[in-house]
Amino acid sequence: MIRFERVTKIYDDNTHGARELSLQVRPGEFVSIVGQSGTGKTTLAKLIIAEEKPTKGKIVIGGWDITNIKQSEIPVLRRQVGMIFQDYKLLPKKTVYENIAYALEVCGVQQSKIDSIVPQVLRVVSLEDKRDNFPDQLSGGQKQRVAIGRSLVHRPKILLADEPTGNLDTINAQEIIDLLLKINQLGTTVLLVTHNKEVVNRLRKRVITIDDGVIVSDQLAGKYVL
Amino acid sequence: MIISLVRTTKYSFQNFWRNLWLSIITVFILMLTLFAVSMVASLNLLADQAIQAIEDKIDIDIFFKDTATEDDIISAQIYLEEIAEVKQVRYVSKDEALASFRESHEDDSDITEALDELSDNPLPASLVVQAEALTDYAFIVQQFETSEYDALVEDKDFSDHQVVINRLSGLLTRVYQGGLAVSAVFVVISIIMMFNTIRVGIYSHREELAIMKLVGATNLFIRGPFVLEGILYAMVASVCAMALLWVVVISSAPYVNDFFQGYNFSLDFFFYSNLWFIFAIQFLFSLVLAVGSSMISIGRYLKV
Ligand SMILES: Nc1ncnc2c1ncn2[C@@H]1O[C@H](COP(=O)(O)OP(=O)(O)OP(=O)(O)O)[C@@H](O)[C@H]1O
Ligand SMILES: [Mg+2]
Repeated sequence: MIRFERVTKIYDDNTHGARELSLQVRPGEFVSIVGQSGTGKTTLAKLIIAEEKPTKGKIVIGGWDITNIKQSEIPVLRRQVGMIFQDYKLLPKKTVYENIAYALEVCGVQQSKIDSIVPQVLRVVSLEDKRDNFPDQLSGGQKQRVAIGRSLVHRPKILLADEPTGNLDTINAQEIIDLLLKINQLGTTVLLVTHNKEVVNRLRKRVITIDDGVIVSDQLAGKYVL
Repeated sequence: MIISLVRTTKYSFQNFWRNLWLSIITVFILMLTLFAVSMVASLNLLADQAIQAIEDKIDIDIFFKDTATEDDIISAQIYLEEIAEVKQVRYVSKDEALASFRESHEDDSDITEALDELSDNPLPASLVVQAEALTDYAFIVQQFETSEYDALVEDKDFSDHQVVINRLSGLLTRVYQGGLAVSAVFVVISIIMMFNTIRVGIYSHREELAIMKLVGATNLFIRGPFVLEGILYAMVASVCAMALLWVVVISSAPYVNDFFQGYNFSLDFFFYSNLWFIFAIQFLFSLVLAVGSSMISIGRYLKV
């Protein structure tokens, strides 16, 4: 589903985001990615959604070689890979409903279809009663659930979560992780970048540890080791 | 396609409404820009009309001796009319001169009685000459003085005016040029201000723009609502600017028309008869300004 072949990413200022990094994730997997700050975890996620281009190496997503993806094809890729962030990245001037609908509207989905998908998604993330609220009227956990809902509208094959629980307390964090697990069970490949040791240890899923742009450990049913 | 258009429209109205404060400021600045440009244009128009009016007001009277026959005077008229710089020449016969003199002194019984007592008409026949431009008078007089007709002339009232005419025309040209330079600077300043307001507006949207891209929106889809919003701004601003201009026209028309009394110019009439044209110019101007600035400013945030 995701394949990195000796991918190197060097930023303009000569810092290395990834060094000869190779990686393979199969469909339906739930993978946690851990590592110290500034080691290249976000870089990995950005490479997958083509927010950054690799300096060297090859990236294949679902059989599609995106190494030299054209500018005009990027929106198509992003509709197939859901992504959520530590800071939620919701549109502040749109309601919960509109934020989720927007992801469908951008690719010209018919109104009747939007009207049926969005309420479904709202039910999955348990936010039916907040549909007309604006993001600044929600708690952190609720905002993250909106973001997850938005990432689900296209039934993406891959869901990237970059520290989705970074701003949340333990209970809210667990809720989000449970939601990710549920989504994973429905068949979506999930990549979870996190600093949260308890979360990783409780998951008992595959754990990849990155240090300075290199994979230093890759264990099935692994633990958070640093 | 149609569905995107509907959504674009929806977003642009939503944007306008939910960022109401920013929208109001943008429209306000745009309106001021338009108003400034229209005022500058109006002043230029008025200056132009004033110069024309003054040019119309100025003429030379050439008074003929009583010994000159009407035929002589007519041929002098023809001679003058053939000079390229001459706009028109009007012949005022002795009788006409007397009639208009009587008319203008109707209320003065002393003068009318004195005239009645005279057996002869004391007023001379004359030619009233108008030049194409103020600066042409000196040349025309010079031409005339070299001709045979100069011998028939009793008097010309031109020389008294000459200095004034020269000064006035010099002054007017300088005022006009100065006004043009000042207005150009003014227009440029307001355009820069407008551009900056829009840019700040877009800047405040930069995170949203990045998010839209992350969610898979194409650049066109993101730009669309901003284009429509620009059209909306332009529409509202030009309507407001027209209203403001209307108020100015209404309140200054009496004075302006007074100044141009006797000339074929009326400010309010000019405004009403060119209403749609003025509106169209304002709308187009603000449209280019608003949409242009937002498209330029938005570009750099869409490279995510
Ligand atoms: N746009 C950029 N330009 C230059 N250097 C960058 C850029 N983005 C990231 N880096 C650098 O690349 C390295 C990896 O950054 P990255 O964001 O991937 O770390 P991270 O593992 O996500 O860290 P954290 O856990 O703190 O989020 C860092 O040294 C960072 O400074
Ligand atoms: Mg990071």
